[in-house]
Amino acid sequence: MSANGDILTVNQLNVAYGEAKVLFDVDVHVRPNEIVACVGRNGAGKTTLLKSIAGFLKPASGAIMTGSTSLVGLTAFVIAGMGIKYVPQDKRVFSDLTVRENLELGSYASGDYDWDKVTTYFPKLKQLMDRKAGFLSGGERQMLMIGRAILGGPKLLLVDEPTEGLAPSIVSHLKDVFVELAKKSALVIVEQNLPLVCAIADRVYALNEGRIMAELIGREAIRPEACEKYL
Amino acid sequence: MNALRWWWGLVLAFALLVVMRVFLPLPFANEVVIFSIYTIGCNFLLGRVGFISFGQPAYLAVGAYAAGFYFTYFGANPYIGIVIGIVVGFIVALIVGPFFVRLRSDYFALVNLALAVIIYFLMQKVLAPITNGDNGLWYLTNLEPTPVLDLTHPSQFFIFALLVGFATWAFYKYLDDSIYGACCLGAKINEDKLTFLGYDNFRIRLTAFVIANTTTALAGALYAVYLGFVSPEITSPTRAVDPVVVTILGGVGTLYGPIVGAIAYTGMKDVLSQILVNWELMIGFLLVFIMLAGEKGIWGTLEPRLKKLFFRKAASETAGGSKARTA
Repeated sequence: MSANGDILTVNQLNVAYGEAKVLFDVDVHVRPNEIVACVGRNGAGKTTLLKSIAGFLKPASGAIMTGSTSLVGLTAFVIAGMGIKYVPQDKRVFSDLTVRENLELGSYASGDYDWDKVTTYFPKLKQLMDRKAGFLSGGERQMLMIGRAILGGPKLLLVDEPTEGLAPSIVSHLKDVFVELAKKSALVIVEQNLPLVCAIADRVYALNEGRIMAELIGREAIRPEACEKYL
Repeated sequence: MNALRWWWGLVLAFALLVVMRVFLPLPFANEVVIFSIYTIGCNFLLGRVGFISFGQPAYLAVGAYAAGFYFTYFGANPYIGIVIGIVVGFIVALIVGPFFVRLRSDYFALVNLALAVIIYFLMQKVLAPITNGDNGLWYLTNLEPTPVLDLTHPSQFFIFALLVGFATWAFYKYLDDSIYGACCLGAKINEDKLTFLGYDNFRIRLTAFVIANTTTALAGALYAVYLGFVSPEITSPTRAVDPVVVTILGGVGTLYGPIVGAIAYTGMKDVLSQILVNWELMIGFLLVFIMLAGEKGIWGTLEPRLKKLFFRKAASETAGGSKARTA
């Protein structure tokens, strides 16, 4: 952990796709056991931020640090191996593999075969072990992806739009799971569902056109209407 | 019981090959077994990792020429020749692999074809003083008989090739069922997702490439022993699509597809070539038909039907049995 107690520090981050600049001088701080939310409209740069942290995009400038280690220039699989796991938005699992095989892939990479913690959070996966992941519903896929990511006890989970297109009952379940997960890991959640993030986040960054417009900290400050003001 | 379930498919497949040997000519049986070993590497690359390669003859030639050089210039023991073919195939795959597997699938197909062309011209022209150019290396009479199974004798060679084939299939079945097999399939379906989990796609692809092409070199070394000569024709660019054709014909990504494809392809080649001069034209039409019919190939189409038939029968027997017990 760094001197300021952050598990992740993003400092003056600039990211561009070719000529098109997407993130401008972004600063983000994540402390242990914190749920940090990034909110913003489509195209605000939320996913770009997560992908840059996860090692899928190379920043034009700026620093991404975990403790005293810089993540800039490291490959995505090395960053995943350091316990920083990215759960992408598109809910595309390995559709030809069964749920069990999907989890085995997560276990083999992390060396953690304790599936009880996955099935404790998502009991439904127990009944779906032999089903091909391509035949799961959107909610079940999301459970599988998060379940796979928490194997190995990651120190930071980067979750991209987890509730998009899911039924309200599943959204509510995921909300409870995120709160539980935050007892062991830190989470960065990119979300457009403001009531959800305002209910669970300890810190919210409002992004607009690639810039951090506001950093809201504490229960009092984090309200949907307060976030809306900056988007 | 689990072991039995694991083995029965393989045992049945190779038992059928033994039966085939009884009814069909020996050269045909030998050709089928070697061709299926030749194809399984291509089938693994295409079906499991998503790499289509038009350059498999390159690795076949590496195995065959490595063994051929040994038989012509250094020794006469077929077993040692085969081991040399495998080792040289492994080394060549390990050298070119790091460069090739970085490429996307379409470029990968072409760069392998380029390698096949390079090896063809190396063997035909550049190294002609030691390879005898188009005439090739002839050493059939140099090969010394071996104990237990005499590989210079075609019928005993068949038993050896069958055992090697069985071991190769058992190995690929193990790979298919292992976590590494799942990693390969993951790399094919979506390599980014695999990276999220902490896997290095490059290493997964390189390992698959080396395994597949070492297997192809093994087939080359078997050809070298079986035929008793090697010529540049083995890596001719016109033969480059053969393993891809057999892979698609048999069924991409299926364990038994290469065997079924090799039987169908070799069979058609033997039968049609007696009737038609341009028999390859029929293979072309058949491929178009298979693609239009659903890209699954012969085994890919048959397997689910056989399973359905088998399981329906088993299910009805169980239902009948329980009824009888109830009565």
